[in-house]
Amino acid sequence: MTTLKRLQNNYLISYVSKPVGAMPVTRLLYPLFQLGNPQLRILRPNWFLTLVRPGKEQPPDTVQFRIPMEMTKCDVKNYLEKIYNVPVGAVRTRIQFGSNKKRNHLNQKVKQPDYKVAYVQLAQGQTFTFPDIFPEKERMPAEGSMEEMQEKFMEDEKQRQKLDPRRGGVTEWFGL
Amino acid sequence: MAARTRLPLLFPKNPPPFRNQKLAHTEAAVKEPTYPPIVPSLTAKSKSARGRQVEEHVRKICASPVEEKLSLITRIQRKKFVVYPQTFARNADRWYQHFTKTAYIPGLPERFALDPEKRTGVEEEESSLPAAAPTTVPGVDIDAIADIRSLVTRVILQEHWHMKKRKPFLYREQEQMVGPFLRNLVSGLTYSLAKYNPLLPLSSLDIDPQVNFYWRRGQRIIPKGHRRGRQEPTRFQIDDKPHSQIRITQQLPQFTSLEASYAAEVPEVTFAPNLMPLFRRQYDNNIFTGAKLPDPACYGHTQFHLVPDRYHRDRMARQQQSDQVEVFLRANGLASLFAWTGAQAMYQGFWNHEDVTRPFVSQAVITDGQFFSFFCYQLNTVALSVETDANNPRKNLLWGTESLRLYDSVQDGAVVGLNDDVVKLLVQFLVNQP
Repeated sequence: MTTLKRLQNNYLISYVSKPVGAMPVTRLLYPLFQLGNPQLRILRPNWFLTLVRPGKEQPPDTVQFRIPMEMTKCDVKNYLEKIYNVPVGAVRTRIQFGSNKKRNHLNQKVKQPDYKVAYVQLAQGQTFTFPDIFPEKERMPAEGSMEEMQEKFMEDEKQRQKLDPRRGGVTEWFGL
Repeated sequence: MAARTRLPLLFPKNPPPFRNQKLAHTEAAVKEPTYPPIVPSLTAKSKSARGRQVEEHVRKICASPVEEKLSLITRIQRKKFVVYPQTFARNADRWYQHFTKTAYIPGLPERFALDPEKRTGVEEEESSLPAAAPTTVPGVDIDAIADIRSLVTRVILQEHWHMKKRKPFLYREQEQMVGPFLRNLVSGLTYSLAKYNPLLPLSSLDIDPQVNFYWRRGQRIIPKGHRRGRQEPTRFQIDDKPHSQIRITQQLPQFTSLEASYAAEVPEVTFAPNLMPLFRRQYDNNIFTGAKLPDPACYGHTQFHLVPDRYHRDRMARQQQSDQVEVFLRANGLASLFAWTGAQAMYQGFWNHEDVTRPFVSQAVITDGQFFSFFCYQLNTVALSVETDANNPRKNLLWGTESLRLYDSVQDGAVVGLNDDVVKLLVQFLVNQP
């Protein structure tokens, strides 16, 4: 049974007393906010930043982000400082035009979306290098498998193609 | 096939001695060359021809008088990086040190030692003990120092207490409040210390002068265009407007020898300057000390700079960038003094391919009204482009202090907490003479 509490025609607060999972939970309703009231709601921005690897080499204190078009430099600074506790020194932004040159099979121009790039310089002498997400792995094929036999075969073939090392790189054109 | 020298069948073990002793000690006869020297062509479409054209141009510049030299060096306009001494960029001093090949040394040279006990016997005030009189300057007696102190208090009170000023417009505060104070201070100090420094009566005090300098340093590969793949030197230009400066007729003595700069360390920055951020423009290449070439006061003494509202330490503190205040001051001192000393050297005929034979020295004071920073610069080399910098061990040197407070506040018609060290440093700076 839900008990409702009316507060002078303000928003209602409902308390669900039924067990969880039996019925969908009604939305939590907060009291109307006026200046000076306690801040009960958590408002999360609908913006998401993407950390990208810089195309051109950047100084060590500079981090590169792709940000939504509607964000400004101040927004980026506040976002990083308040949500992620990152000390931000300076932010510079630019808008990258996505090309409209390519054409599809119907000869129509296909637009690649535009995006905004932010270069954030960190404060307090901090540095950041973009990590290597795809490191080179030593691929050793499993013992007795097809790949190992194939690799061995290819190596033997290559060896057979090479000339006698005692000739010192001279081709077989000179000789018998 | 190796050529085999023809030796006689019976080669003697001890060859016969050189018979004609008379000709043993004479030099080889100098023969006039019958053909002119073989040099690469001047007009061919080849790299050696281009090299020869560059050589001929360099030789032409070296052989011409100073005005022609300057006009030949600054003739061709190309895209260049405009370096602003007062910049918002972070860590600008490291970048500027790399651009100008300058090493930063914290503190001032020994001549301006703040500790009076270290200095040995001085002519005019032997009687004063170091502990009793903290303000002792060699060559200036204590009464003069007291006069200077009263002058400074008078100037501060005039601008901040007696004068009734209306509320300043947005970002015009420094210009309205501190600009006149600094002007009065500089002219008052110059005239009072004129009897202790024989150069000052013959000097020229410029108010709001212009200082420009143009140089090349480093190179890059052109990424796009019809000149893609080729090397291009990076060009820089400084256009500075200090608050005031003093130019003198003789050169100030060097702080350290040229060789002492070989050991100094200059930070290397491998990134392109536009990442700083620094922007490129194309316009007239100017080299100017503050006066035109025929002016007799062609050497620099001291520059005074004002910190604008945008970089005031209160505003930086509000934006949580207090650590950048000192960085800004150092970058300002570095760029301004490098431009001034470089222009002075150019006025004497030294340029990229003819390096300076003696160091050029100048001083600067940067202030925002309350805090004073003192900088000394010694220009040891002006050869900064790629070809001339390859084997150049010389480096330019910048000495600088942290910002020192001149006074705490002005209350009830009196200056509270006047710092004598700062007054003494100001006097020492202005009394500096060869």
